[in-house]
Amino acid sequence: MNILTLLLLVPVLFGFIIMLLPSSLRGSFKYLTLTATLIQLGISIWMYLHFKTGAAYGGINHEDQFQFVQKLPWISLNLGRMGKMQIDYFVGIDGMSISLLVMTSLVLVIATLSSWEIKSNLKGFFLLFLLLDMAVIGVFCALDFFLFYLFYELMLLPLYFLIGMWGGARREYAAIKFFLYTLFGSVFMLLVMVGLYLSVTDPATGNHTFNIIQMMNPANYSGQSIFSIAGHQTILGMPARTLGFVVLFIAFAIKVPVVPLHTWLPDAHVEAPTPVSIILAGILLKIGGYGIIRICLGIFPEIATSGAFWLGLLGVISILYGAFNALAQKDLKRMIAYSSISHMGFVLLGIASQTAEGISGAVMQMVSHGFLSTMLFFLVGVLYNRVHDRGINHFRGLGTLMPQYTAFVMIAFFASLGLPGFSAFVAEAFSLTGAFKSPTVNGLLPYWMAICGSVGILLSAAYFLWTLQRMFFGAESLKGGNVWKIALTDLNLREKLTLAPLALIALALGIMPSLVFDKINDSVLALVQFLQLK
Amino acid sequence: MDTFLHAIQSLNYTVAAVVLPLLAALVNFCLPVKSKAAGWISTIAILLSCVLSARVFATIWNNPQVHAQRIWFTIGQTQVYAGILLNNLSVLMLLLVSVIALPVHIYSTAYMKHDERYSRYFTYLSFFCFSMLALVVVDSLILFYAFWELVGFSSYLLIGFWFTKDKAVKANKKAFIMNRVGDIGLLSAIIILFAQFHTFDIDTIFGQNGLAHLMGIQDGKWTLIPNHLPDSVGSVWGRGTITALPALWQYVACAGIFLAVAAKSAQFPLHTWLPDAMEGPTSVSALIHAATMVAAGVFLLGRVYPMFIETELTILACIGCFTAFMAATIALTQNDLKRILAYSTISQLGFMILAMGVGAYASSLFHLATHAFFKCLLFLVAGIVIHQMQHIKDDNNLDIDPQDISHMGGLRKKLPLTFITAVIAALALIGLPLTSGYLSKDGILIQAFEWSDGRNAWFKIIPVMALITSWLTAFYVARLIFKVFFGEFRLLKDNPDIKPHLGDGGWPYTLPLILLAVCCLFPLFSFNPLAYEHAWLFEGLKTSARHAGEGVYHSLIPISVNVISLLLLFAAYRIYTRESRLPFPQKGFFYRLSYNQWYIDNLYKRAIVNPVLRLGSVCFWIDRNIIDGFLHLLTRISGSIAKLAAWTDEYIVDGFLHLLAAIVQSIGNFARKFQSGKVQYYLFSMLVIVLLLFILKILI
Repeated sequence: MNILTLLLLVPVLFGFIIMLLPSSLRGSFKYLTLTATLIQLGISIWMYLHFKTGAAYGGINHEDQFQFVQKLPWISLNLGRMGKMQIDYFVGIDGMSISLLVMTSLVLVIATLSSWEIKSNLKGFFLLFLLLDMAVIGVFCALDFFLFYLFYELMLLPLYFLIGMWGGARREYAAIKFFLYTLFGSVFMLLVMVGLYLSVTDPATGNHTFNIIQMMNPANYSGQSIFSIAGHQTILGMPARTLGFVVLFIAFAIKVPVVPLHTWLPDAHVEAPTPVSIILAGILLKIGGYGIIRICLGIFPEIATSGAFWLGLLGVISILYGAFNALAQKDLKRMIAYSSISHMGFVLLGIASQTAEGISGAVMQMVSHGFLSTMLFFLVGVLYNRVHDRGINHFRGLGTLMPQYTAFVMIAFFASLGLPGFSAFVAEAFSLTGAFKSPTVNGLLPYWMAICGSVGILLSAAYFLWTLQRMFFGAESLKGGNVWKIALTDLNLREKLTLAPLALIALALGIMPSLVFDKINDSVLALVQFLQLK
Repeated sequence: MDTFLHAIQSLNYTVAAVVLPLLAALVNFCLPVKSKAAGWISTIAILLSCVLSARVFATIWNNPQVHAQRIWFTIGQTQVYAGILLNNLSVLMLLLVSVIALPVHIYSTAYMKHDERYSRYFTYLSFFCFSMLALVVVDSLILFYAFWELVGFSSYLLIGFWFTKDKAVKANKKAFIMNRVGDIGLLSAIIILFAQFHTFDIDTIFGQNGLAHLMGIQDGKWTLIPNHLPDSVGSVWGRGTITALPALWQYVACAGIFLAVAAKSAQFPLHTWLPDAMEGPTSVSALIHAATMVAAGVFLLGRVYPMFIETELTILACIGCFTAFMAATIALTQNDLKRILAYSTISQLGFMILAMGVGAYASSLFHLATHAFFKCLLFLVAGIVIHQMQHIKDDNNLDIDPQDISHMGGLRKKLPLTFITAVIAALALIGLPLTSGYLSKDGILIQAFEWSDGRNAWFKIIPVMALITSWLTAFYVARLIFKVFFGEFRLLKDNPDIKPHLGDGGWPYTLPLILLAVCCLFPLFSFNPLAYEHAWLFEGLKTSARHAGEGVYHSLIPISVNVISLLLLFAAYRIYTRESRLPFPQKGFFYRLSYNQWYIDNLYKRAIVNPVLRLGSVCFWIDRNIIDGFLHLLTRISGSIAKLAAWTDEYIVDGFLHLLAAIVQSIGNFARKFQSGKVQYYLFSMLVIVLLLFILKILI
């Protein structure tokens, strides 16, 4: 059996087992889910180790350069004179996906471990969790647009319920806000997808196709079709391809999230239970970045190039605006949510530069932020679980009370603010390097963008250190008095075992960035070359 | 072959010297927090580093540089290397850092003895030594930046070592954030240099035949000066495939480096973190905030010196000179022992930057080395004094600040060794003959005057201000020494019934003092106590050969500095030991300006910190009210549309249907009346219809 398919089937299988087990065995659900995610982690590590590198495995727009591919005809309808409708089950990965896939598998394990806090309706929770698990893995593997869209939409449903049923006080508001935001993006994506389907034909069979890789080749577009490059079609007076790009970009930008499409994120994070926050920040945001690289840049490269300035600008705005917002927060979780917006801005800036340094930096930032935001949200969860409060001003001097917890918070904060030795430093430094190099290499971005972006690094130090000073240092003083003091015990073994690997991975990636760069480099170079040739 | 083996050996020794403190830090991190073994582990590690550095120094000094690297990672088509670059500058710093760190470690074992988190202290201290030693030997700008930040990080940890103290944690936050300003300057500079040179390698860019030597500003571009390119330069520039950056970015890169230097070496306008950083343990202040880390900025200048153009160097000189002067004036009126020393450090660093600006490259680094010894010594002395005051305070439950020099006095009899070493360090700081400070500082002054000679008369301001600063130095140092060690013990005078037990302390205190005091004297640096040109350190670093003792300045400057300094010393002696009336007004404008540190902190709080925080709140307001407000508006609009649609549905669409139904119903009702089932009615209706037909027919 194909290994990617196996990866997708594991959560489904365990989901069925949980569904069939009676509720009296609900104590075992979390262990079953943990087993499923650990198996997935094992599979993805195996894939990582067996992932071949070299110019012949660049991927991107060459179907034969993808690895672990499985392609099966799935829906095949004979439409008479209109030809055959062809939808494939088509999965495979290249350098862009592999590092994100490994990161996703690990984050899912951590999310499961943090699900220990969930106490109500365990069957429903873990079923939805596993469904979400399958969907996010699927998004990173799918190479057929229809399949991609299916997984992409499938994520929404469990997330809506996970936030809306297991969330905090304003969970319903947050859940519906999240749902509508994302749905708004994906509904239009559906239209573009259909448009692309009608424009592209598979040269081998002559049928229309949803194959993403074939959508990257201008020769596959039939002359007068809506998204044909030569056809110069317009929709409502706008060039059709520009409109298509913008629609897809908005759909993914909501996920990233890019300012000003970001306001679902702080609310969703604040209301979501810890495991869902972890999945949201660790994985979901990366799907936005991945989508921009794979779909927006892949299918509409010439629009991505002509609009690079605006992408870069949005990136810089996200970096600065997110950072300033984080500075103003009084809720720890909301502060971290805004810091995510700021950090994801580097991803967009790096992608917009269309240089090898910038795109590698962007992918690195996604991987690094996956681990670090997981760690941050887990740490917030630890505190919230103990006293059900997250107000920054409600705590002081936690360093004396919870020394080990404070040590991990310091690691997470310093790693996030880009201390060298941790992964975020390499990622941010190279996103900015790429952005600065862009004017001399391809003339897409102005020089000042990189310099403005670097101010975000300064601001991140300000908001993290200020929080550290207010909450963890100084003389001990808690809003909840002695009750809190008794409740605030230091980390237990499970929590330490969860946090330590994350800290170690962030450190390992910072010292040996080649762990990621070696695997992605060929794809990055292939993408840069593809973008230059167009 | 022999040189090759020597090179390999030096590299191995260097790696060992750098990594040993890291290992010590890791071991200490695993020890329990109170473990006393930590102190010895760290001390032994740094002792070994010191020995190894000395070996490396002996091999490399005045010999060809050694450079080795291996590939670190590949990104795109760029290969990023990591390696070690050993030349005169780096081996000097390697030796200096480890030699200064050793006495500080020994001292710390005693100084921190009673601390709750003894092993954490040594973990951080060893980690600092690792970062600092690595910083001076790495060969790549990326690694340089990494260790540059890691020294800042370890300084953050150590300033805030007593993290329950509010002032300490505010100080370390401030230090880190201000250093971050410098860091983004450095990062921007590195990015610009990479875009220009396509490499991070320091040797390729700034080395002897480095690319920076070949570059200049031409036609608004920062480009290669033609006909200059030797064949040996194997860079993309040789192939002429890359476009040059606009000249602006050369200036920005230099400005970025300047920001980095200003932040790390506490130069105006980023100097205000250093006095606050004195909240950390005094031994830390001695090592990090006086001798080594703060000198890293000067070291950075030394590394990238070739890229600065004339105007930029002049700006550097102005800033250095201004900082030196400003800090010296502030030091005149402070009463906190450590704060005085901190401002003195800022002032001396200003001298080094000034020296770099006027082209006195070797003198600058020479002063860095001599300053490291005497300033470290002064801080260790301060540590002993403060500890003794703290003991008196604790024993007698007094409400005093143990660092306030206005409580001290007459300590020379109680702490004789501390007193003697303090005097030696003070004389070196003032720059009197027979000390190391004389050699290095006069060198800077002389070269500053020589530099200004060929220029516009306005440039004379710089050396003259430097000269005045060195007189101010003499005065504030004298004030410090006389107030602490001479006269009578003022605390005793105010509280006559306390019985202080004071002493120099055991060998962990005295040995470092003696070691450092010996290093403050001239023989370590030169056998000729009067001419700086003969110092081996100066000769090893100087860039151009110049004859010694030329020019009128070589006798005029030392004489004027020393004669007036001696007069000032005497004046200070009269003022502060005789307790005669103070000759200066205590409330004039200048006094307040100096006492309040030129109000710079207040200015920053009002002009930068508060606006940034307000901007944060404004952004959040926008988020809540404009973006979310827009969304909520959309929700409300769609809600209203939905309601309107519901209303339309109910009243118009359904209303029409109901109307139809009603009409049909009423017609039916009406027609039903004719179907009553009675024959009379049927006849009657027939009659009516017939009549109606008749009438119609007649009418039509």
